[in-house]
Amino acid sequence: MSKEKPFPEYRRKLGPGWWLANSHFTQYMIREWTSFFVAVFSLIYIYELSLFASGARADALNLLKNPGVIAFNVLALLFTLYHAFTWFYLIGKVQPIKMGKTTSKPWQALLVNIVLLLIVSFAVIEILVLR
Amino acid sequence: MPKVARLHAILWGVFSVGGFIAAFLLPVLIYIVGIAYPLGLWPISGQDPTTSILNHHHLGTLFLFVTVAGSLYHGIYRFQSTLTELGLARAKRALEALGYLIVIVGILAVAYYLLMLNPGVLSLP
Repeated sequence: MSKEKPFPEYRRKLGPGWWLANSHFTQYMIREWTSFFVAVFSLIYIYELSLFASGARADALNLLKNPGVIAFNVLALLFTLYHAFTWFYLIGKVQPIKMGKTTSKPWQALLVNIVLLLIVSFAVIEILVLR
Repeated sequence: MPKVARLHAILWGVFSVGGFIAAFLLPVLIYIVGIAYPLGLWPISGQDPTTSILNHHHLGTLFLFVTVAGSLYHGIYRFQSTLTELGLARAKRALEALGYLIVIVGILAVAYYLLMLNPGVLSLP
């Protein structure tokens, strides 16, 4: 097959604000921006671990008590939960499970995975923090 | 024979696993370390959570490594892709290179600091 295309390819040029044109695109972009909070929290925590490892434990703990860092962490938790809930819903949409004549719905996958998230979170707290 | 993008498939698979980690393990880490500890909320009473987690040598260290490394990979991989969708498509290659550099350095740093904090973690439990 020749590499030359018989017709010129038309690609619609999108400006930086294309995602504001439609509510589905806006939701998609909010979901994509959850990655910013996931990445930045991970980088801040790696810095925390570096302070712990270098013996500057007091500095590490003071950083956690900084009001700006606490505010960022509250936002990061909200965005991470948004990432989690939309991820769970997508699992149900992409991989519906057939049980006899019925097929699972995305909201059922969301519900089951929220219960799993709560179980995992309580297990982490019980085993790694409270014991 | 069509060309199969094996490396891309592997990287996307790891990204997907990172998405699961960020969904299931990251919220509880953010809550206990970043919100409950500084504000004195349940379940924290006294000791900081990072020290409590690291006291459970193998399990605690594994939890921190998997959660932080997996979330970092997932977050950076998706964020650089988001930036290309917001008008930086021309810088795609540079963003990918910078993204993978941050991921590789970040994951090595997590492993190094956790090994420094728990030197005996490589021995069998």
